[in-house]
Amino acid sequence: MLKPHEMSSVIITGPNSELEAVIKELHDMEVLHIVEHSKNELADIGKPLDSAGRLSEILVKVRALTAALNIRREENKFELKKGLLEIESNVRKIGNGLGALNDELKKTEELISKNEAVRQELEILKGLNIPLENFTSYKSLACFTGYINEKNFQHMNGELSKTTKNFMLFKSGEKRKFIALFIDSKNREDAGSILNKNGFSQMNFSNIGGFKGAAMSNLKRTGEENARLQKKRTEIKNSVEKLANGHKAFLAAADKFLSIQLEKAEAPLQFASTPSSFLIKGWIPSGQLNSSIERLNKAAKNRIFVHFEPAKTHDNAPVKLKNPKYAKSFEFFIDLYSMPTYKEIDPTFFIFLTFPIFFGIMLGDVGYGVASLLFFWLLKRKMKAKSFFNILMLASFVSMLFGILYGEFFGYEFIHPVISREHEMFTLMYIALAIGVVHVNIGLIIGFINELKSHGLMTAIYEKLSWIILEVGVGLLALSYMGKMPISPLIGAVFLGLSILMLFKGEGVKGLMELPSIFTNILSYARLMAIGLSSVVLAVIINDSAKEFFHQGGVFVLIGILILVVGHIINIMLGLLGSFLHSLRLHYVEFFSKFFHGGAKKYQPFGFKED
Amino acid sequence: MVDVSTGLIALASGLAIGLSAIAAAIAEKEIGVAAVGAMAEKEELFGKGLVLTVIPETIVIFGLVVAILILNLAKGG
Repeated sequence: MLKPHEMSSVIITGPNSELEAVIKELHDMEVLHIVEHSKNELADIGKPLDSAGRLSEILVKVRALTAALNIRREENKFELKKGLLEIESNVRKIGNGLGALNDELKKTEELISKNEAVRQELEILKGLNIPLENFTSYKSLACFTGYINEKNFQHMNGELSKTTKNFMLFKSGEKRKFIALFIDSKNREDAGSILNKNGFSQMNFSNIGGFKGAAMSNLKRTGEENARLQKKRTEIKNSVEKLANGHKAFLAAADKFLSIQLEKAEAPLQFASTPSSFLIKGWIPSGQLNSSIERLNKAAKNRIFVHFEPAKTHDNAPVKLKNPKYAKSFEFFIDLYSMPTYKEIDPTFFIFLTFPIFFGIMLGDVGYGVASLLFFWLLKRKMKAKSFFNILMLASFVSMLFGILYGEFFGYEFIHPVISREHEMFTLMYIALAIGVVHVNIGLIIGFINELKSHGLMTAIYEKLSWIILEVGVGLLALSYMGKMPISPLIGAVFLGLSILMLFKGEGVKGLMELPSIFTNILSYARLMAIGLSSVVLAVIINDSAKEFFHQGGVFVLIGILILVVGHIINIMLGLLGSFLHSLRLHYVEFFSKFFHGGAKKYQPFGFKED
Repeated sequence: MVDVSTGLIALASGLAIGLSAIAAAIAEKEIGVAAVGAMAEKEELFGKGLVLTVIPETIVIFGLVVAILILNLAKGG
């Protein structure tokens, strides 16, 4: 609580012959947070183990197959019996099978698209009733095929007749006619220019070469062939899917196995090394230090040397938060923001105390509390982020308690409230501001302790205590002016002046500019009242409009029920989002700004996998 | 019918919350744009982005408090 786990810095050295054994043991123990070595004049970084190349090659293949077979990652139980060899041969087998299927699929698809092109050409030609073998190239004849408007058709026909008698013209279609013109090749150029003049657009038929007979019968044959190809394509796709289903457990297991092996094989890249020895730097939680060293020595047959010492204040040790079980879920918020540095106070416990309360004050309704509790309980069973839902369930429970205090059940006043959110908003606002004063000052006190530890007493007084004195000064001034306290305003003014001087000494001009911030911070806690007020007013409006419908009776009762259900669902969603974000914001902005530095690295031991 | 002075008070109170809401919306727009941009680069920033985006909502809350204070004038006067 409040402090992270104690860490010790560790240096492990030994001969290269023991490197593999040490890496294996470290990976199994899951305790060492490795500090990456960067190349310097004393030592280079290590080389990956010999197996790394082969491992990554197979891993790439496994991942490529997973992607090609469109397999989603899911939990699969699969026993790899013979390790790497089994994976290698299996991967090759699956790869070959998939390759053959893919080749066939590609061929089939090419045929289908070619057939489609043929079909389109045949569709156009079917109206002309000319055998297809006529559309080949002739020595003495020129052939034109294409579209022309009906208006121009007669005109063109006339012009052609004037030029020569040796032509045949076929046409089909209504307004926009498709024509085929066979003409003496001597007149090819004349015909071309006549056609051009009359807005002829040419079409070439490149896909029906070699076809014989009427277009209609060919069309039928193509259609039949296409159906056969489509069927074949579906069959191939089915067998790909079958392949995927048959091997998805194996591929997932292989991926996992290879990733772990590769992580071990590439670990030396983070170590320092000389031609004959290696050196590993890192951090181990002090509690696990002795047992870890023992295990390492045993694994390396006592041929390594381990140096260790506890972390000092200014070391940038990785941080492993330490909190009691009930508050552990709230480390989620620290993760989301930033890790506190090693010697800083860990605010998780304070968030555990205040976050659900703030949330409860804002949501504060027995009905909403029960509904969201159920909702989050269901989600928690389905989803992965357990700690997130633990937080929300606790917060929902506290909302129920505040709901009893406010006497609200889905916006309806079911018992006489201790304090009514709807009617006593001023009282509630003062309570909210009082909570603000307390919360901000807790923050300042934590800040004071942090500064005391890292920069000494005077800095702590100038930078943190000064704010508290400022608050006292302003408070006294206000009280004496309002006549609530029989003291001279001078006393307040003295406090105020003193605090300003201290702030100037502690934080310079910046401190003076920040002076009003503490009051806006406290005023910001008015949201505890405001969010709740908007939520309850919405609930009351929903209830009232539903009541109108209930009074009219009949079908309107159903509409009333609909309004109640939809309205309250929307209001719960809004209320949850608002309460969560604003409660979080009060911690991140108003609270943390008083003491939190953060920026430390999270403790991530080698070999540890988060599930 | 309510008299003119009560109406004016209601209007003032509406302005207090309405204008501050516009201000907050403008501020949130800017932050939201930046947050979504940052998220596109690095998805883990969702949490921080969400919190940063609601920061200007303080403005509306001040507006609401002022609006309530103004409404109270109507009761007192």
